[in-house]
Amino acid sequence: MTRYGIAVDTARCMACYNCFMACKDEHCGFDNMPVARAQPETGQFWINLKETERGNDSRKIKVLTVPTLCSHCAEPVCARDAPQGAVYIREDGIVIIDPVKAKGQKQIVAACPTGTIFWNEDLKIPQKCTMCAHLLDKGYKQPRCVEVCPNQALIFGDLDDDKSEISRKIVCNKVTPLAALEGIKTNVVHLNIPTVFLAGTVYLPDDEVAIGVKVQLRSKKGKIYETTTNYFGDWEVENLEKGEAYDISIDLAGFETIKLIAIADSDKYVGESLMTPRK
Amino acid sequence: MTEKITHSIDVGGPITVHVIDGKIRRIRPLVLDDTDPKGWVIRARGKEFTPPRNTTVTLAALNERVRAYAYDRIKYPMIREDFVETEDGKDRNTQNRGKSGYRRATWEEALNLVARETKRIQGKYGKEAVTAITSSHHSWGLVGYKLSTFKRFFNLLGYTQIWDNPDSWEGFHWGATHTYGYYWRLGGPEPFDLLEDALKNVETMILWSHDPDTTRGGYAANESAIWRHWLKELGVQFIYIDPFHNFSSVKNGDKWFAPRPGTDAALAEAIAYVWLTEETYDKEYIKKHAHRFNEWADLILGKGIDHTPRTPKWAEALTGIKAADIKALARRWASTKTMGGSGMRGGFGGVCRTAGGCDFSRLMVQLFAMQGMGKPGSNIWTGTTGAPMDYNFWFGGYSDPKASIANEPVADKTAVNPVKQKLYRLNLPDAILNGHYEWLGEGFCGQSLEQQFTENIYPLPGCSKVHMFYRYGGTFLGTMLDTNKWVRMYQSGELEFVVNQDIFFHGEARFADVILPACTNLERTDIGEFSNSGNGGYQSHSQTGNNWQVMVYQEKAIEPLWESHSDYWIFSRLAEKLGFGQEYTEGRDEEGWCKRFWEKSDLCKKISWEDFKKKGYYIAGVPENWQRHFGFRWFAEGYSCDTPNHKPFMEQGKLGTDTGKFEFVSESILRLSPNDEARTPMAYYKDSWEGHRSLIARKFPFHLISPHPRFDYHTHYNSSCKWLWEIPENRKVLQGNPYIIARIHPIKAAEKGIKDGDLMLLFNDRGSVLTVARVTNRVQVNTIHCYGSSAIYNPTRPGGFEMEKGGCVNLLVPGQLIGTRVPGMAPNSCMLDVKKYEGELTFGQGFESILKKIDRED
Repeated sequence: MTRYGIAVDTARCMACYNCFMACKDEHCGFDNMPVARAQPETGQFWINLKETERGNDSRKIKVLTVPTLCSHCAEPVCARDAPQGAVYIREDGIVIIDPVKAKGQKQIVAACPTGTIFWNEDLKIPQKCTMCAHLLDKGYKQPRCVEVCPNQALIFGDLDDDKSEISRKIVCNKVTPLAALEGIKTNVVHLNIPTVFLAGTVYLPDDEVAIGVKVQLRSKKGKIYETTTNYFGDWEVENLEKGEAYDISIDLAGFETIKLIAIADSDKYVGESLMTPRK
Repeated sequence: MTEKITHSIDVGGPITVHVIDGKIRRIRPLVLDDTDPKGWVIRARGKEFTPPRNTTVTLAALNERVRAYAYDRIKYPMIREDFVETEDGKDRNTQNRGKSGYRRATWEEALNLVARETKRIQGKYGKEAVTAITSSHHSWGLVGYKLSTFKRFFNLLGYTQIWDNPDSWEGFHWGATHTYGYYWRLGGPEPFDLLEDALKNVETMILWSHDPDTTRGGYAANESAIWRHWLKELGVQFIYIDPFHNFSSVKNGDKWFAPRPGTDAALAEAIAYVWLTEETYDKEYIKKHAHRFNEWADLILGKGIDHTPRTPKWAEALTGIKAADIKALARRWASTKTMGGSGMRGGFGGVCRTAGGCDFSRLMVQLFAMQGMGKPGSNIWTGTTGAPMDYNFWFGGYSDPKASIANEPVADKTAVNPVKQKLYRLNLPDAILNGHYEWLGEGFCGQSLEQQFTENIYPLPGCSKVHMFYRYGGTFLGTMLDTNKWVRMYQSGELEFVVNQDIFFHGEARFADVILPACTNLERTDIGEFSNSGNGGYQSHSQTGNNWQVMVYQEKAIEPLWESHSDYWIFSRLAEKLGFGQEYTEGRDEEGWCKRFWEKSDLCKKISWEDFKKKGYYIAGVPENWQRHFGFRWFAEGYSCDTPNHKPFMEQGKLGTDTGKFEFVSESILRLSPNDEARTPMAYYKDSWEGHRSLIARKFPFHLISPHPRFDYHTHYNSSCKWLWEIPENRKVLQGNPYIIARIHPIKAAEKGIKDGDLMLLFNDRGSVLTVARVTNRVQVNTIHCYGSSAIYNPTRPGGFEMEKGGCVNLLVPGQLIGTRVPGMAPNSCMLDVKKYEGELTFGQGFESILKKIDRED
């Protein structure tokens, strides 16, 4: 069996907005029946780039972009309360909202845990990503959003084929489901979404950065992370447990150990630490 | 239902256009087939790198369908409703330009009026009384682009030409050329095969005033995006220096430094100080290749005339970057193989467009020289150009004189402009308004260093001033300086007649007496090469920013919409009315000209005209055993220069400076411009004439930086494409108007009582612009970041100080040039203040009503 899916590698997404534009180019102003009526010119985002600025200090800021589209769930929540088979799953796994049968069924929009279904007020129908099923049926090799991704952040293919590019991509990367879809089997698979980081910089007296300093983070549960400062005296630990408190110790031979505590409730730059020589 | 597939190119890459029943249905990238050549292979660090078998696009390309049918297309010829065709050219209500509405005209009426006025003005004052200019990059194609169709017409007519300034790379053009030559590349470095060099050797990338994922090698789509992923996977460290934590930096940056705008030269000097004191520069290389290095080194060490050692601590006070961090940066640079530079191709970037742009650009070159520039893994290269390419294959890019319908061999006869008088774009309004202007240089000075000092005067003795202005394609209100003065120029009676030929009703079109509707790229036939700016001039081989070298037959996808016509059609008709129709066309239609480009280039040896038209594109492959020609390696290693686009003296191992070496004390500046306050013989940090140490900073404490935009291109897209307005980092729509995003640091936002998403007014003595605040740690604390070249231009009152609400920050930037002898623009030396805006908002954009009225007449 073929089960079409899209792997979304957030580590490679540069937020170029090509997927967003290609989706609109394909779906705005044109009906693609039987899978979709035209998307309105503006206001719907079948693939949306959710961006988060990570960090609380200009010394360490990163931006996370999570391309978010219908996840094409194996057992779609939105189908549960959609009479007349308004939401159905095709043999290839693509979840479709039938534009005819779904007329007037606004509850389908609210049912989606990820907010990727939109209400078309003019047509009175719920609308969402179709994985460009109308094009795949015509022999296109991939949906429009995937075709235009210059960063190979979107990979399309058959999830049931172990040898497919998408399957290999998923095996080689960390699967990180969207929070709202934890435990739900989906055909859109998000990869490499980080949790939370703590970072800092270590200095020596007399305007020098401290290179090769041992930095240890210990969670209340006893989990230990170790790193060393780089050529800028910077250290960073990514993918910590969110909300956990960490004891941080900064060690360099001949200097007083610096002890800090930080709560990883959000991405944080814990500050600049100045080492003082041990007396 | 019939589906037709054609091809085209724009600034966002080559595209495949699907047309169903005469309507554009979709825009796709080009997908290669089995008959296209194999991709190049680079073997480096135990891996093989080869590009994917498709070309990339940018969001601009994916907007071409909606742009073609956009609400702000100019649909019909139009004449300003209060324009009066007086016999003496006076009393034409010119003060109302920019305010008045229009009435619909027929093509015959509009063209006859343009022809009558051209004849009247040239008959009365002389040929030079007509002037004309194009914008850059409003279309793509060797027939239709500005240096072809437009140039042929105006050269045959005779007109006062307006020289362009090197607007994107000023400091490298006017400054760096005096340090390392390359004036024929307009100050830019050699990119040749440096992608391979980097993949093999580089350890650190220093991207200084550079956002590669945004400027994308100019117009090389997203071709190089994959290269930077490769480099990251190899463990290469990316360090970004920019007052804005830009879109590349927040994704793949390992370190971000945010110098206070205008102080980059001080940071460069402090890096040199560390290398000099720690003796970590390439002494042998400098001994062999540098001229008067010791004098400059003395200056850095505090033994020079100002007795100021350029210590990291000294630079910390200016830049705001910690001395410890500056030392660490200098040491990382010196101890690892480092490549980098500024802006989209290494010699660009926002910093070179500041008052200190020449100093910064020269110091950038000097720093790379100190680390043995040209040795493996050590070069000016910014990760956006330098893919393998077959340099023996020639097609021709837009700036190449041999690739224009104005010139032989494409034309049977070259069209020559008989008028010697010139104008200079940056100061066109000053020249018109004051009736007199003097300046140095010939715009793009690719012939020699001396050319930068050509003395010019307007009006040229014996010549008339200009009284007719013919404006073509796009708008300068969002790309030039202090642009309210352009409005004052338009409203002056000195310009008796103004024509605008454009596709969209963007800023400047609204100031014309007659508007002629041109069609888009997709509605006419053309031919062109992806990202080729011209192998004869400009920064040659810019198409090495691509993975594939692609020539496209830009077949007309649909008929021109409404009553628009191609630029060639318009100029042909006008030429006929002015009596030189046959000379203009030489009997060819657009396809006939396209065929000439095929015939006069190497393309005709590779593919027949019929096959090329049928397939729509041709890809020139790189032969499998193709020998590499690494940029600048010839100089570092002392062999005869083997890179393309080189001068004979390079074969003797010399650079294009007076001495043939890196000049740390510039002999050409001493020789040609000894009393130049902005371009001293030695490059060093100077306070900006508008900066944090100026008196004006007490009134206007923030720096504005307005770099090249991520979500637009030369203002051509934001107005017409509403999908762009839905990008939260670009715009926010309030009351039917898309307000531009401006970024402010949280500390300053708190001081001003501004929250994220609030309306924020940017203002100074030149004007005011209403924006939406993005409160972010991504911007240097004293800096406001707002993209330039992405304005829509929606003034409350054209030319007034009242707020503009289309994001036209160019109203705010100073008109002052880099120096009295350096005619470059410096929009990033701009001070202003901000305040939270709590007043009323007017609904809509303001200009739509003019178009709607015309539609109602329909």
